Amino acid sequence: MEEQKKILVLCGGKFAFKALQLLAYEKFLCGVGIGKGDDRIIDALEQESEENGMSFRSFPDKKSMSSMKEWIEEMQPDYIFSISFPFLITEDILAYGTEKFINFHPAQLPQYRGPMPIFEVLRNQEKETAVSVHFMNSKFDEGNIIFKDIVPIDTNDTYGKLTVKLSERMAHVVLNTANMVQYANKIPNTPQEKEKAYYFEKPDFSDTYIHWKRMSAQEITALINACNPWNIGADATFQGEQVKIIAASVRDEPHNGLAPGMIVSIAKDQSLNVASSDNKQIAIEIISTEEGIMTSKQLNTQKFLIGTQFN
Amino acid sequence: MQTIGILLVRSTYYKTIGFDLYEGLRSGLQQLGRSDIRIVTENIGFGAEKQQCYRSAEKLLLEENADIVIAYIGHRTAQLLRPLFLAANKMLIVLDAGANLPQEWSVSPNVFYHSLHNALGAWLSSKQAVNDGYKKGGMVTNYYDGGYLQTYSLSKGFEDAGGTICFNHATGHIKEEFSMAPLKKHLDDFEDAAVLTLFSGDYMQWHFKEIKEHLNQDTPIYLSPFGFEETMLEEAIYPSNNTRGVAAWAKSIDNEENRIFIEAIEATGKTPNLFSLLSWESAQIALKALSLLKENKNNITKTAEALHTFEFTSPRGKITFHAKTNTSVSPMYNARIVPTENGMCQVELDGIIDSTTEEFEALAELELNTVTSSWFNSYTCI
Repeated sequence: MEEQKKILVLCGGKFAFKALQLLAYEKFLCGVGIGKGDDRIIDALEQESEENGMSFRSFPDKKSMSSMKEWIEEMQPDYIFSISFPFLITEDILAYGTEKFINFHPAQLPQYRGPMPIFEVLRNQEKETAVSVHFMNSKFDEGNIIFKDIVPIDTNDTYGKLTVKLSERMAHVVLNTANMVQYANKIPNTPQEKEKAYYFEKPDFSDTYIHWKRMSAQEITALINACNPWNIGADATFQGEQVKIIAASVRDEPHNGLAPGMIVSIAKDQSLNVASSDNKQIAIEIISTEEGIMTSKQLNTQKFLIGTQFN
Repeated sequence: MQTIGILLVRSTYYKTIGFDLYEGLRSGLQQLGRSDIRIVTENIGFGAEKQQCYRSAEKLLLEENADIVIAYIGHRTAQLLRPLFLAANKMLIVLDAGANLPQEWSVSPNVFYHSLHNALGAWLSSKQAVNDGYKKGGMVTNYYDGGYLQTYSLSKGFEDAGGTICFNHATGHIKEEFSMAPLKKHLDDFEDAAVLTLFSGDYMQWHFKEIKEHLNQDTPIYLSPFGFEETMLEEAIYPSNNTRGVAAWAKSIDNEENRIFIEAIEATGKTPNLFSLLSWESAQIALKALSLLKENKNNITKTAEALHTFEFTSPRGKITFHAKTNTSVSPMYNARIVPTENGMCQVELDGIIDSTTEEFEALAELELNTVTSSWFNSYTCI
């Protein structure tokens, strides 16, 4: 029986917790590093690591990355797994070993490179996503692909739901990969197809804002789901006030040429039916305003809304 | 030349299992006119040793350049091999005893399960017991067979049909500890209870012997498919006059495909059984998968989608695929145990169960909650 491989995990926080638990249970885990991360999570990870005799290090900013190489060399892990670690691993650190660094990217590669691919796949109404496992090089998400494990996306998946689903699948993919590196004589891998590659920057306001005049009802609800809950919801303006639409669905009913963004009617369940540019409607159920998060019913009791306009 | 790799197992009580699996595949390919295909084999013992399983599969893929691999393993071992097959962009056809439930693990497009459906058979057998009028029942198994999720399907099937599980008895798995004696008290406490059993291999023979010794001859005993495995039944003492259940296959299934299968295996000097049947059938699936891979330029996702609609007629009847779990579904058979002239057992079929697609869908939708199986080895391989 060969000696159990030692795996160091670099992560970005809670998303990696299930994977860390499984690796620890199977006795692969030798250390944990966290990049950025809030204090509660850092404290929890540090305490767990101490109790289980594992090395722990927090990397709050890019500057702190200067100590990573030394830390890894002290620990001598067989492999370093990265799960949503926010900082680039430099060539100097990667020089620790060829094909020793493996990243677990929560989307298809090379199509969805970047820091927030879950937002992008939802916004683009993909039917499936993946956990892409690849060797790391000195650029974000660009190393050779080992394998991709497909994860279906359900119609009503929000950013939050899909993140939880991916976190659970990630744990199994990470454990499967740990077994792979434990037993494999050779790990098959292939270069990423450059012509299919796209790097999505972290979304800004223009990405999360509903463009009523040009977006279809499907695109609007996809954006709303993609923004819930990390951005609270999709951004819009309503009667001069910045609002965020948190939950909505498509109504396959025409509105016969009303201006996109106009409230057409109030449904029986009190949701706001709003015209979209493709002559359909979206039913808005939950919205965040300066007064707080409220259902359409709560909003409706305060104001007369039919004919008013989101823009 | 195309190459099919097969991972072969061994079993202390199905001693010929490796030969049966190999011969089923070889004869199946021959029957389909594809003797030109090279078969390469690797042994994985009981299928429980992770390193051995991984390295054997790796060898078939990376050294022998197998175009597709067939393996008699469980879901847990298939998970171990999943990244290797994804990385190599190759398909794995799992020959699955069906002792566990597919929803325990997520589906991968390049892993398909061709199943004997022991858990589905246990589910159907339990339901049959309720339909026969038994509202009370007890699950009876042993330490080994009881470690798979077929126990869950057996008890859920009985409860869903309106029955109540009143007792459980799990005996030891070595002969000295194997006893059905406690059943007598259970059956005294719960009158008119059906005994719902899960046994395979030698355990089934021991079980029948103990039933005969300790229980009333009219006690209703319900069997799951491996309880009807005919090579074991030949040497099993006829246990009681009321032993029935659900079989996956029997030599007496009356159709042309079964006759061809039996003749082909017997022509090699071997006895057809569940294992040679499973790999015989897998030849058709492997050939279809290879053809689809070629058609789809090795795109696994497209190949998997096409396989979902593939169906063929086998010795068991029509085989289809359940797309959500990548698992084949076949008809099953209501069956009973009847005595031979020398007091041993044989199978008598009462009729085909052709609602297996709907029943498997219901079974695969069961919430498992925290129920899990930790057995790594391929079912019956100990």
